Amino acid sequence: MNSFIEWLQNTPLAVAVSEVWFPYLESVHVIALAMVFGTIVIVDTRLVGLTSLNLRFTYLSDRLLPWTWGAFIVAAITGTALFTSNAQGYMANTEFIVKMFLLLLAGLNMLYFHKVTLRDVASWDGGRPPQAARVAGYASLAIWVLVLVMGRWIGFTV
Amino acid sequence: MEQLHSFSTWLSETGFSQIIQTTNNAIMFIQVIHIICLSALFGCALILALRFMGRGIVSEPLQHLSARVTSAIWTLLIVLVISGLLLITAEPGRTITNPAFYFKMVCLVVVVGLTLWLARAARSESTQLTPVHSAVAVCTMLLWSGIIVAGRLIAYIESY
Repeated sequence: MNSFIEWLQNTPLAVAVSEVWFPYLESVHVIALAMVFGTIVIVDTRLVGLTSLNLRFTYLSDRLLPWTWGAFIVAAITGTALFTSNAQGYMANTEFIVKMFLLLLAGLNMLYFHKVTLRDVASWDGGRPPQAARVAGYASLAIWVLVLVMGRWIGFTV
Repeated sequence: MEQLHSFSTWLSETGFSQIIQTTNNAIMFIQVIHIICLSALFGCALILALRFMGRGIVSEPLQHLSARVTSAIWTLLIVLVISGLLLITAEPGRTITNPAFYFKMVCLVVVVGLTLWLARAARSESTQLTPVHSAVAVCTMLLWSGIIVAGRLIAYIESY
């Protein structure tokens, strides 16, 4: 594992990112994360029953989540490139590990919501969601806020 | 330029600036608030821009959607300005003598003006959406992106 990380950090791509492209890739990464978080906040605040109650939940999420996913792919690609520039440093950074764990948690929360909670969406689509859906919404909001906190914290500690 | 440097030095030596500078993780905490609000605002701006382009949440009347989205944008903007002022106070040498900071401020002024124009157009019931509205909507998203990029590049671009 260590030799792979060391090899990764010394690839021509990683060196180019480290020496030239880091600020530009980081800028794109932050724009993409802003779009991921910005669209998720709108969907989640509808899910917890705070905003957009005049819209059906599925309508709102169908309209916004393609933007979330598109931005997430861009964030993942730029994030991976940024990681290669100092792979050993990031792997030894607690905040980075916590951020990755939070992303995994966000994915699991979303998976459970889609596979279980969303099954009876027809009964609450146009109104206030049930407790299970609201819990998923609050959990998602908390996780994504923490992802941003960790993302910023990495900049101070790596 | 010399006056800016003098002002920056004076500001960084004020008691309030010193409190922020010496409080554990205060700058990081303010930055996090700033980024969270900017990201939430980016989502709201996207909804508004898409609606003016005839996409996104088209089932909601423009007038209604614009009213609730712009009120969220202005609220978030107030928090952004306050947290931004705190960051400038904490680290004036990093911001007020930095060209990226001025680019960010120009983008901010222009995007606020364009958003006000869009909000006014939405309030008028006789407004028919035209390619001009779409173009302005695209410009607002480019400007918000420019604000994010400039904010990040402040850390990399040398101050005057």
